[in-house]
Amino acid sequence: MSYLIGIDVGGTNTNGVLLKEGKILATVKAPTDHQNLHTGTRSAITQLLSDLPGKEPDKVELHLSTTLATNAVVEGKGAPTAVLIIPGPGLRWEEFKLPFKLYPLTGYIDHRGREVKPLDRAELRQQLTAIKEAGYQALAVVGKFSPRNFQHELAIESMIAKDDPQLLPVTLGHRLSGKLNFARRITTAALNASIAKLQAEFVHMVQALKAQYRLGRIYLLKADGGTLALQESINRSIETILSGPAASLMGTMALADGIQDAVALDIGGTTTEISVFAGGEPLAEREGAVIAGFPTLVPAFFSRSIGLGGDSVVTYDGNRVTIGPQREGPPVALGGPRVTPTDAVLVLGGAALGNPQRSFRAIQALGAPFGCAPLRLAEQIVTAFAEKAAQVIKEIYQELNNRPVYTVSQVLTGANFQPQKLIGMGGPAVYFIPKIGQQLGLPYQVLPYHEAANAIGAAASRPTFAITLRSDTALGQLVVPELDYAETIRRPFSFNLEVAREEAIRHVLDYAAEFGVRYEPAEIELTEEEVFNLVRGFHTIGKYYSLRAQVKPKTRSIQLC
Amino acid sequence: MDGKPKVGLVFFPAFDWAIAPDHPEREERLLYTRDQIREEGLLDLPEIEEFRPQLAAVEDIERVHICVPSVAKVCTESHLIAAGGTVRAGQLVTAGKTERAFALLRPPGHHALRIVHGSRGFCTINSEAVLVEYLRKSWGGRLRVAIVDTDAHHADGTQDVYYNDPDILHISIHQDGRTLYPGTGAINELGGPGAYGLTLNLPLPPGSGDPELLYAVEHLVLPVLKDFQPDLVINAAGQDNHFTDPLTNMNVTAQGYARLTELLAPDLVVLEGGYSIEGSLPYVNVGIILALAGLDYTGVLEPELPPELRQERPVREEVVHNVAFLQETWASRKEADLERVFGADEFFRRKRRLYYDTDDIHEMQLEEIKRCGQCSGYRKILSFAERYGRKPVQIAAVLLPWHACATCRHQAQEVYAILVSSTEWDYVYLQNPEDQERPLVTVSNGA
Ligand SMILES: [Zn+2]
Ligand SMILES: [Zn+2]
Repeated sequence: MSYLIGIDVGGTNTNGVLLKEGKILATVKAPTDHQNLHTGTRSAITQLLSDLPGKEPDKVELHLSTTLATNAVVEGKGAPTAVLIIPGPGLRWEEFKLPFKLYPLTGYIDHRGREVKPLDRAELRQQLTAIKEAGYQALAVVGKFSPRNFQHELAIESMIAKDDPQLLPVTLGHRLSGKLNFARRITTAALNASIAKLQAEFVHMVQALKAQYRLGRIYLLKADGGTLALQESINRSIETILSGPAASLMGTMALADGIQDAVALDIGGTTTEISVFAGGEPLAEREGAVIAGFPTLVPAFFSRSIGLGGDSVVTYDGNRVTIGPQREGPPVALGGPRVTPTDAVLVLGGAALGNPQRSFRAIQALGAPFGCAPLRLAEQIVTAFAEKAAQVIKEIYQELNNRPVYTVSQVLTGANFQPQKLIGMGGPAVYFIPKIGQQLGLPYQVLPYHEAANAIGAAASRPTFAITLRSDTALGQLVVPELDYAETIRRPFSFNLEVAREEAIRHVLDYAAEFGVRYEPAEIELTEEEVFNLVRGFHTIGKYYSLRAQVKPKTRSIQLC
Repeated sequence: MDGKPKVGLVFFPAFDWAIAPDHPEREERLLYTRDQIREEGLLDLPEIEEFRPQLAAVEDIERVHICVPSVAKVCTESHLIAAGGTVRAGQLVTAGKTERAFALLRPPGHHALRIVHGSRGFCTINSEAVLVEYLRKSWGGRLRVAIVDTDAHHADGTQDVYYNDPDILHISIHQDGRTLYPGTGAINELGGPGAYGLTLNLPLPPGSGDPELLYAVEHLVLPVLKDFQPDLVINAAGQDNHFTDPLTNMNVTAQGYARLTELLAPDLVVLEGGYSIEGSLPYVNVGIILALAGLDYTGVLEPELPPELRQERPVREEVVHNVAFLQETWASRKEADLERVFGADEFFRRKRRLYYDTDDIHEMQLEEIKRCGQCSGYRKILSFAERYGRKPVQIAAVLLPWHACATCRHQAQEVYAILVSSTEWDYVYLQNPEDQERPLVTVSNGA
């Protein structure tokens, strides 16, 4: 595999990059056409391939980051979706504040995955009739504790396949995440179902390109910075939300040198996105992405957004400078209505942009009532910007170091997260990052602004896939919910942690192989491991293992020419 | 979200600590509770926020206990985290970060007495007392607290710590001591001469359930609290009176617990016992959290809930009778003839045998409480403890109360000096909770 194309379909522009062995051969840019996401993609590919040196190209691998899923969710363009839920007892499902119609079913799986109450098939039939009559076009099925035992969800799917195939495909909650959180699983599955059709159309169009351009494997970028095989994205489209920010972060990783423990700031006009690297890897959200205000179980980067950017509104009361959180237009230098941090930078001679004279006069006017000279006020504005960013960074690290832990040894280890370096991206970064680094007492690196950074990030990323393996030797059960895998443990006494680890790794390898990707066992890491003795009446009756395994996240390193 | 979260949850299941691998107090105890809380998505609710526990400092422990020979020798880190996590929960409420807090952690603490030779009833350090003393120190001693202990076992440790403390009301509702460890908590145990009537015990006959527990709360606890006007109400919420608990014979349900929490509306809930780790704890804890958060808990039902426990039935006559007795005792506590109860001597003396079931230690205590008109009086405790296969230990301790009068301070020092000069004691301790810095407990190694 020598040629690689990365394309980021952003809110404004579509950027593309053609790579050969980590070297950038060409970049392209075109405005994004939101009605036809694939047209921009198509023209980017055409241009990039026309630049290809030599005659007949080898097959070219394509990595795509699109706003399709994000926009569909944020703008509510998904299909009207019904969710069959099996809530069992607990927090009343009527209390869930979700924008989907929920159809409850009888049935109850407990925390160890035991069936307490079976499904009622007659009731299921009634609910399906109601769903059909109401005209829902998308359907998800989610049971409480279904990652522990997904037989109810599977039974419902096969009954639909038999009696109401027009309702297919249905999204089953357990396949999208092995993590526990019923409400988030409902949201994740429902959103996935609601955008499945849009995703399928998009996949068809991209496949047409494949034939046309002799493309090799095609992957879509996910919220966790990994990629997902194009075909598989029809089933797991929800994982491609927030792929823009992910592409940006992967771009940072590919372009920055030696990230270990670092805080990364992407400073834009309106907001600054803050993410965290620990031990060379981007930190993930504990539960999953939050999109359009909905908490989900979609694996995603940890990131926090603050209303602080180059175009944020600056106010001054003679004493304190306040910045943001709103933006009311571009900097005064570019004809904007209010003083912005960028204007302050211009006054201080830190940049060349628009008409700095206008910036000077605006800042002069802002300081005049309080007798504050324009240069002094400009200094104060830049300092206030840096202070605010530094403050938020400190709070984020405090939050991370206060994350609850559940073992004595973790409490004794104490604070784990500490930034050693500050990394800046985005247009205004070059002006503010040095000041923020000073505030935090950290060395910094400002990445050279690269219009194609997101496309580079998309190109640099690799497939990721995580599975949950849970085995309960007392019940003799082993499940991998993401893969519909359930088996009876035949030799509970020789089942041990080693066996559990090998099984978990094997499942990741097999899954990847299904999509034509071969990994070595050494490329799989175990991210969570729990082992408990199960004791009843003073006797050990078995052990409980819970493991999460995934392909080690990596990026290709990319050289700028 | 408007305002602060209703409930701060300090959850610490200590997944790497056990008394012994197959002991009820083991790693697995809160595993299913963790799973239930996560699956119900409780931590995503704006009403609930989770916090990390902290380690209690040695002086936090010494404000409460005399640990023999020292805090370091009897405590593991898990004890310091359980106590520190309870303090954290208290800080959340007193600092106004959350309206209420729930210290959902292990190991428990309510069987830990003032003098600690080891672990009894799975408890080594009394978390509620550590919290109360921590807050009392930061409030300069001006703090009135009510502790309502609803664990199925008598809270003999907490009772012992506050037996003679006029600022702390301690109410324990438990399975009758004649049928369950530790055997104490009879209805006529009402506190020492300096705090008579501020210790209340309501033993429930085996088989009691939601009707009895809720009756006691409505007719005894709530009126007493209204009268006492505490600054802080703590519910020591043991969950071992659940109908599935393997160690007790009670019939309380998750709905009963949740309703109790709603009625009591405590500032703080602290987990104590509860060893039905699958059948009870996941449901009871979710019920308590929802009730504290003011959310609908009526859907929280155990899978094994027998239909008869959901039916209304009359409260047992014995409980109605005992509640009436305690109401009357409470109302007339200030007129009680203390000479008749405690004698006319300058000192009230008692002699007790105590058993540490967890560590198999037998202890004999001789206690003297000075009867002082100016303060609640200093205490002297002589303790002889024997553990099979070890050299017996003999210690003497002199304890000053909060707001001790000058005379008591002076006399306590004198008594301490005499004890130190004797060769009879392996260790002699002097404890003053009002000291701002260590040592709060002065130790003299007699030998
Ligand atoms: Zn108990
Ligand atoms: Zn006195």
